[in-house]
This record gives sequence, C-alpha cells and structure tokens, in this order.
Amino acid sequence: MGQTVKLKLSSRITYVDLVHQMTEDLARRAHFPKPAALDLALAVREAFINAVKHGNAMDEGKSVEVEFERNASRFLVAIRDEGSGFDPSQTADPRANENLERTSGRGIFFMKSFVDEVSFQRRRGRGMEVMLVKNLAPAGRSTEESGGKR
Amino acid sequence: MKASVRHHGKVTVVDLSGKITIGDGDIKLREAVNALLDEGRKAVILNLHGVSYMDSAGIGELVACYKRAAEKGAKLKLLNPGGKVQDLLILTRLQEIFEIFRDEREALTSF
Repeated sequence: MGQTVKLKLSSRITYVDLVHQMTEDLARRAHFPKPAALDLALAVREAFINAVKHGNAMDEGKSVEVEFERNASRFLVAIRDEGSGFDPSQTADPRANENLERTSGRGIFFMKSFVDEVSFQRRRGRGMEVMLVKNLAPAGRSTEESGGKR
Repeated sequence: MKASVRHHGKVTVVDLSGKITIGDGDIKLREAVNALLDEGRKAVILNLHGVSYMDSAGIGELVACYKRAAEKGAKLKLLNPGGKVQDLLILTRLQEIFEIFRDEREALTSF
C-alpha cells in the first residue's frame, strides 16, 4: 500500500509554486535524486498550469486536485480539473521546424519529456485527469526503457 | 527572478538569476528586455548563468523576447545557460535559433 497526499486548490496560477515545491520535496523524500525530483516537479507544474488555464478556464470557483502517491517502485501524481477539458491530441509538435518560434504550446511536451508515463483521461462530467508517473527503479534503466526521458 | 543590467559600449548584458517561470520570472524578463528595446538598445545578451530552471511559460517568453528584438532591428543572444536551462534549450531545439555563447568576451564582440 502506498503513501498518499492530496491537495485541493482553487484555480489560481499563483499556487503553481506551492505545488512545484511540494512535488520536489515529496520526491526527494522518496529518494529521487535532485535532478529527477526537479523533472517530476516541472511536469506537475505544467499539468497544474494546464488544469487552471485550459481545464478550468481560470475560474477560481473551480478546483484543481493534486494527488501524490508513492509506492515501492514509482511515484504517481494525478492532477484533476473540473472544467470541460482540453484535447491533448490537438497539440502541435513544438519541435517541428514551423513551430520552433511559437511562444506557447510546450506544456504537454514538457510533461511527456520529464516523466516516464503520461496519460489523460476525461472523466465524464467531472473534467480531466492527467496522470504522471516517474519510476523509482534505478534511474538509468527505467528512463532509457521509457524513451530516453531523464 | 532578478535581472540586473550592465552596459559595455553598445552592448547590454542582462544578468538573470533565479527561475524564469509563469507569473513572475516571465514577466520580469519581458519588462527588462522591453525597457532595453524601448531605449533603442540594439545588442542585448541575456546571461543565464544564474538561472536554475524555466517552465514552458519562461521558454515562451524567451522566444517572445527574441522575436520582439528582431522586430525592432535588435539582436538578442544568450550567454552561459546552466545544466537544466541548457537541457531545455536542446530539448526544445531553441539552441538552433539562439546564438549561445560560453565566453562573455566572445559574446560581446559578436555583434
């Protein structure tokens, strides 16, 4: 059975630093090396920003829930909004030549780059859930197997 | 994030420190670069040595600064990005857009 911590915050961008710091602290306590803890925090940061901006459309009356769960082999973070959601499949590749000079559109790419698994699930009538997973297994092996992520 | 400005003749170096993230660093970066462009400065170096990390908003603002500089006939170059920032520039392929220097003297004479 893993350890779980849950936060429920109103949709304010200013809370992103709190969420980032908490993620990094929990990851460090779970014995992630500092760079891996920062990577996880950067991914959670992007998911939280997406939930506030695109999920809940900056409506402070709506909440974003962040749930951290650590078990023996991995660290999972679920970020849930209450909005009508966004379509992650509609995001353009920010590394494509024609998109390199775009000033936005890198959030989901960052999420996918910094953790081992990312999944999006639209919850019927209850917004979107983004699940981020970072493996606790020996860093070199697990990260290489999951597509070269650090 | 903190930004402090040094002038070396026609070239301006902006020493940045802290993190460039949404709602704080990105706004301060925009304000610092806009102020220089409004003064008519045409050669700007952003010294990233003291920047610990950026998020997608920070990266987006860096690109926006680059584009605004180009629109005003100015050039924006980068100096000394550290570990995580360097990783992000490579990951996003932005190292192909920006001129990036390791040596400040070389950066100063590159304009």
